[in-house]
Amino acid sequence: MKKIAFVLCILLVGVSLGWASGMKKKKLQPYEYGSVSINSFSQQAGMPPVLFDHWSHRQYATCRLCHVDIGFGMTAGSTKIRAVDNMKGYYCGTCHNGKQSAVFKKKVFESCAKEYNRDEYKRCTICHVLERSSAREDDFERFAEKMPKDRLGNGINWEKAEAQGLVAPVDQLEGVSAVKQKLKVQPDFSLKAKVDGMPDIIFSHKKHTVWNGCEVCHPDIFVGIKKGATKYSMVEIFEGKYCGVCHDKVAFPQSDCTRCHSKQP
Amino acid sequence: MKRKPGMVYSLSILIVALLLSAAPRRGVCADPPWRIEFDETCANTASAMDFSQAQLQTLITRCEKLQKAVEQLDESTRKVFLKRVLMCKNLYQFVLDTKKRAVEGAAQ
Repeated sequence: MKKIAFVLCILLVGVSLGWASGMKKKKLQPYEYGSVSINSFSQQAGMPPVLFDHWSHRQYATCRLCHVDIGFGMTAGSTKIRAVDNMKGYYCGTCHNGKQSAVFKKKVFESCAKEYNRDEYKRCTICHVLERSSAREDDFERFAEKMPKDRLGNGINWEKAEAQGLVAPVDQLEGVSAVKQKLKVQPDFSLKAKVDGMPDIIFSHKKHTVWNGCEVCHPDIFVGIKKGATKYSMVEIFEGKYCGVCHDKVAFPQSDCTRCHSKQP
Repeated sequence: MKRKPGMVYSLSILIVALLLSAAPRRGVCADPPWRIEFDETCANTASAMDFSQAQLQTLITRCEKLQKAVEQLDESTRKVFLKRVLMCKNLYQFVLDTKKRAVEGAAQ
């Protein structure tokens, strides 16, 4: 009964936040989940914004490789990527350079060019798109049907997909990554739920560090290593802080309560 | 047996090519000093928790020097590596602060 009350409470908080911010959050289709529109300079340069799909990249690279070693920020537009950066081999241009990519294990199209003709412009429109094409949806459906299923988000259980060897994201890229020592995984810990009857949270360092290393979360997102040092609430998480930086945007959504609140009584 | 000069030249080229191909690809001739220093300094983030406070402080100082060197680079390189150096420095600082607090907590 208390669990139901907690879930209702969470839903009420979510609806209230949506109401307070003056907009109803549209439920995303699985193929849209984790999509980011990047428009720092595109429109100034006469190009449509870049529509970046996380699903098509996270099968190849860990979060850490892109958000630490390649230098992409954690929020859309924060990196201020320019075409010239890509042309010099940074950001998208790290892999999208017209050469064989160690991440994608194939030759990947070149990301940007100073000059282009009409035929070459077709290459620009792979990333710079006015609206989502059905071809991208089809690509997603073809990929997703081979993957283990999940209840929410983009419907793919990425953790299982990696465990089953269906995806093998690359974590180190020669010439880009500093060669690191093997990560010593910190122990898992539990966090007490604030509502009676709701199972406590089991936080797995192992599950998080395998794709993120340390720097993605500490200290930018979580400023305390010691358990309980960072105080936060579900309201803040729903607002996109703390766990909400990734969960509800790219990683499974917060509405999948029992994925985190999983401690057995 | 008298060796032909052409043969000696070809052999020298072959030896040099073999030596170059056997050498590690990074850090031999391509990487500038700031990049070598970056790779050495920021290679320790995965094991930051195992370092002593003095070792962490040394790494932070190296990051601060590196930051100054990176600030002199072209805009694209500066943007990427300044972020990377800061992430790495902030992690070391964060671990150091946590260790200091743990020592203070134990003393009280």
